[in-house]
Amino acid sequence: MTVSVWGPVHQDMTALLTGQPDDVPAVVDQLTKLQDILERVPPLLCSNPLADFNKLYLHITTTVLDRLYEGRFADPAFLSRLDVEFAARYFEALRHWSQGSAACPRVWSVLFHRVGGPDCRPLPSAAAGVNAHINFDLPFALVTTFDYFGSDPVDDGDQHADYLQINEIFADAIPGLRRGYLEKWQLLIDTINGDLDDWWQGETIEYARNVAWRNGQRLWSVRHDLPATAKERERLDSNAAALGRLLLSPLGALLQ
Amino acid sequence: MDSVGDDAPLVGRTATLDAIRTDLLDTGPGGTAAVFVTGESGVGKSRLLRETADALRAGGTAVLTGTCLDIGDASPLHPVLQALRRRGSAVTEVDGDAGALLERVSRELRAVAGERHLLLVLDDLQWADRSTRQLLLYLLAGLGDVRLSVLAAVRAESLQGTHPLRRVLAELRRLRWVRVVDLAPLDRAGTQELVTAIAGDGVEAEDADRVFKRSGGNPFVAEELARDLRDGRVELSDTLREIFLSRVDELDPQAHAVVHAVAAGVEPVEHPVLARVLTLPEDRLIEGIRNAVAHRFVVGAPDGYRLRHRLVAEVLEHQVLPAEQAVLHRRYAEALEATGSADHTRLAHHWQQAGEPQRALPSVVAAAHAAERLYGFAEAHRYWSLALDLSCDASTDRTELLAHAAESAHQCGEHQRALTRLEELAARPDGPGECEIHLRRARYLAAAGRSVTAEIEYEKALAVPACTPGEKATAAAYLAELLLHLGRYADAGARAREALRLAEADGTTADLVRASAALGFSEAFREDPDAGLAVIRHAVEIAERSGHPDDLGCAYLHLAELLTGPLNSLEEGVLVARRGAQKLAEMGVGRSYQTRLLAIAANGLFRVGQWAEAERVIDTAMRHRPSGADAVELLLARCRLWVGFGDIEAADRDLDAVATVLAGGGARHVLPMLTLRAGLAMWQGRHAEARAAVQRGLTETRSDDLVLMGILAWHGLRAEAEAHAAGGTVDPSAVRRLTTVVDRMTRGVANAAPPVRAVIDGYQDLCAAELSRIEDRHDPHPWARAAAVWDKRQQPYPAAYARLRMAEASFARKGKRSAAITALREAYATAQAMGAKPFAAEIAAVAARARVTLGEPDAVAATPAPDAGDPLGVLTGREREVLAKVAEGLTNKEIGQQLFISERTVGVHVGHIFDKLQVRTRVQASRVYLGAV
Repeated sequence: MTVSVWGPVHQDMTALLTGQPDDVPAVVDQLTKLQDILERVPPLLCSNPLADFNKLYLHITTTVLDRLYEGRFADPAFLSRLDVEFAARYFEALRHWSQGSAACPRVWSVLFHRVGGPDCRPLPSAAAGVNAHINFDLPFALVTTFDYFGSDPVDDGDQHADYLQINEIFADAIPGLRRGYLEKWQLLIDTINGDLDDWWQGETIEYARNVAWRNGQRLWSVRHDLPATAKERERLDSNAAALGRLLLSPLGALLQ
Repeated sequence: MDSVGDDAPLVGRTATLDAIRTDLLDTGPGGTAAVFVTGESGVGKSRLLRETADALRAGGTAVLTGTCLDIGDASPLHPVLQALRRRGSAVTEVDGDAGALLERVSRELRAVAGERHLLLVLDDLQWADRSTRQLLLYLLAGLGDVRLSVLAAVRAESLQGTHPLRRVLAELRRLRWVRVVDLAPLDRAGTQELVTAIAGDGVEAEDADRVFKRSGGNPFVAEELARDLRDGRVELSDTLREIFLSRVDELDPQAHAVVHAVAAGVEPVEHPVLARVLTLPEDRLIEGIRNAVAHRFVVGAPDGYRLRHRLVAEVLEHQVLPAEQAVLHRRYAEALEATGSADHTRLAHHWQQAGEPQRALPSVVAAAHAAERLYGFAEAHRYWSLALDLSCDASTDRTELLAHAAESAHQCGEHQRALTRLEELAARPDGPGECEIHLRRARYLAAAGRSVTAEIEYEKALAVPACTPGEKATAAAYLAELLLHLGRYADAGARAREALRLAEADGTTADLVRASAALGFSEAFREDPDAGLAVIRHAVEIAERSGHPDDLGCAYLHLAELLTGPLNSLEEGVLVARRGAQKLAEMGVGRSYQTRLLAIAANGLFRVGQWAEAERVIDTAMRHRPSGADAVELLLARCRLWVGFGDIEAADRDLDAVATVLAGGGARHVLPMLTLRAGLAMWQGRHAEARAAVQRGLTETRSDDLVLMGILAWHGLRAEAEAHAAGGTVDPSAVRRLTTVVDRMTRGVANAAPPVRAVIDGYQDLCAAELSRIEDRHDPHPWARAAAVWDKRQQPYPAAYARLRMAEASFARKGKRSAAITALREAYATAQAMGAKPFAAEIAAVAARARVTLGEPDAVAATPAPDAGDPLGVLTGREREVLAKVAEGLTNKEIGQQLFISERTVGVHVGHIFDKLQVRTRVQASRVYLGAV
């Protein structure tokens, strides 16, 4: 075997990824441990782009967990399961990457490739992770979650409302990031094409997540049809990967 | 994927093979085990399956083998039924329900196995239909009472994305007796060994190395490349596609035709069918087949021909012109029709692929009906949808197809699809009337959880002038039920009354029962339990007169739920549930209702502390071989008993079984399962595990489900208190979260209906008391209050638990010893009577610390085992007690006062005693009693 992608933390990483969290507290726990490991990956250590994303994701999941305890969701069982399914995809992508498997979605490989450098700005890194997670993983997580509950994705139900509540959590998390990380962001947003503008600004996450909801509904309708699902997966992966590459390109670095 | 007759040696898999064999025989407590082999195509999964099967067969295991089909529309349970057919047993349709079908299949499997252990081998599981997946979970949970191991292969490529197996495997792999083996490609050394084995020792090291690089260690590819090496062929490509295409080109025309024909067929392709598909003279056909076999494309078995590897079919598919493909499929369809095949699925597939949808239609419709007869609603729905795709707008049967498609979608949980179909149906000029459309739409909406729109639809149905009173009664009854679920008790009552009024004229019994139940519950929740009870009792009478099993089961279920639920009249609820189950059993119908009624009885018996009786009831219910949600309900009830009895192994087994069934979906039961896990972990002193189970439960509890929240919060606080008492650390953030939950309960309980409030109060008291324990306050008062509340609810277990803690707190505080000793002894007597071993042990430990003697334990171990000669043996423990009082000449009222049950309940007991002893008066009953004791 060639040198591990994780360098000296390879063993820790492999051990951590054997865990398959099945509830939200366990997801938070796993993300916390992952953060610790990621910050030890040379050469970038704490400025490793994946650590930037993971930090944001950990923050968001912790908020979700708090809201679950506070009873803020209409259908917590649904939301918990979605959170678990959602995270499982991220962990699985990491697992595939660790094993050098071709099954690792391209949209994630784009980001994972950058773990070893060159250095990348935190915001575009986090954004690339959010992109992979929302534009690619989320629709699939939605489908498996609905399948588990034997219900289906219907607009305006309890589950849709809960799902949209996550928008708030993302929106709350991101201005903080922005204050911490960037000034020129706003300027750059204006110069980039409308798609990305929509994606990031104002309706940013909301826009992307609504797209994910629609994509989820589309996947749902073909979920028994394996070739069609594979095709859909391919489409989502290559679209999201293109966006991810853009975010991590020198253009993305300008964002900061 | 078949590669029978492989001559290449099996390389680099010895360890895996041994491990799989050991895992398959290392069954869990349920007597089952499973190994799922995943890996890319060609990595050798099928070979591994075959080798393992051979080895186990040689060791005396019965082996059944089936393969899932990639034709997308396989019939329900295809691989298992196919495996059984090969052994000469057949399962066609079954009367009853989906559970009866599962039981029927299990019976066939038991018959095949006989005394032996059974190995069920399933290849290409990624193509398994939903019914097959459910059957697997049913069997693995031990519900089919078949001692079996399952060995299945899954293509890794398929598990990407949303494949339903992916989640099932993720859930199952948590169980100790389930293994998921990821089969990796061969390493360099392994590949080299394979190459040498095929091409001989003379192979240059660098050639072997090239094979490794080009094949990536995939044994299937490596083998083919090694053969080229041996035969001195220069291979230009390393993709499978090109390897095979160059091989195909070498075939003679007949063999070429055979390979293409088998590739287009549904395997196994029987010889007579192949003969009709290929219009070759017999001798040339045989020659072609021989040649195809010799070139390792096709393998022959008694039941027909298959490709050596399904990958070949995928490669060839792109090599054939669409027109050629269509002709092949048409010939297949004609051949199947000519040979009189009844395989509608296969016929439909070929006609469709032949581009002749019109001719496919009858087969598709037949396949849909066949799937419905096997309770494969998901599969049936696919066929109805396909039938719709095949029929044109103007077609006369389109309306009927739409109606079927909508209903099957509803039944398999595709609510959105059902609604879409219904809209199309509504637009048909010859579609059903406005009223029926509203009713169906409302039902579908309610099933999808869209209550608000469902309510509007029911109201529309009620407002349409064209609706008959009967239809309106149905609408009002359903609406009342919906409102009840939404907690709008007053509205539900009003609608239920409307339904009853409408149904008086020409309503069905089903509507009457539904409306009465809704009214009963709404009254009970609104503080007029007697009125509610009267209505449901009336419904039971009506159902008894109608004699229809559904009505009867439904009415009894509602009555038993009302009594054991909001009215907390546990003993009577248990009696009613058992009587209902008995009635249905005598009629030999309503298996599912019987199971559910017995589950209610068992849960009631658990709560009143009659655990041995509860165990007997569950045993009876288990003999019905329940499946799905019913099975989960019973397993949970039984597990609750094991936790109470302290039988850890049995409790673990049932929790595993529940988890297995739930891997197929079923969120409703996750919370009770977690509660039991927490309870079990606490008796084992595993506080972290208990804490984790509770935390997960709390994040998944709806804020309006106060009862579940109460149970979980209490379990959570108790876990912290026990951890503290055991000298461990209390998790402050866990306590903080738990107190948040208790606060939420306090806020919520203000708006709750009185019966709900009563239960919550009990848990709130327990929570407050546990908090005092965590804070080392040693305060007996909150415990005394909790004990009183649970006494009032006639639930001895939590009451006795509160007494134990009360005594413990008093001793710690050096308070009044006599009260504490009494409480401790009472708790001990209760624990002994129930058989609650771990609880009794804990009481004994506290007593020992406080130097208190608990008295004669055996004196309390009550009811002697009934022996056959005893005329009172048919009576339950409680019935004997009542009869003893009857013999003393007491009235029902006096008996009720003495036994702390209602006069009404005594009446029901007396009725049962009369039935069982076959007497008609109290005097006769007393005589039997006095003669026996």
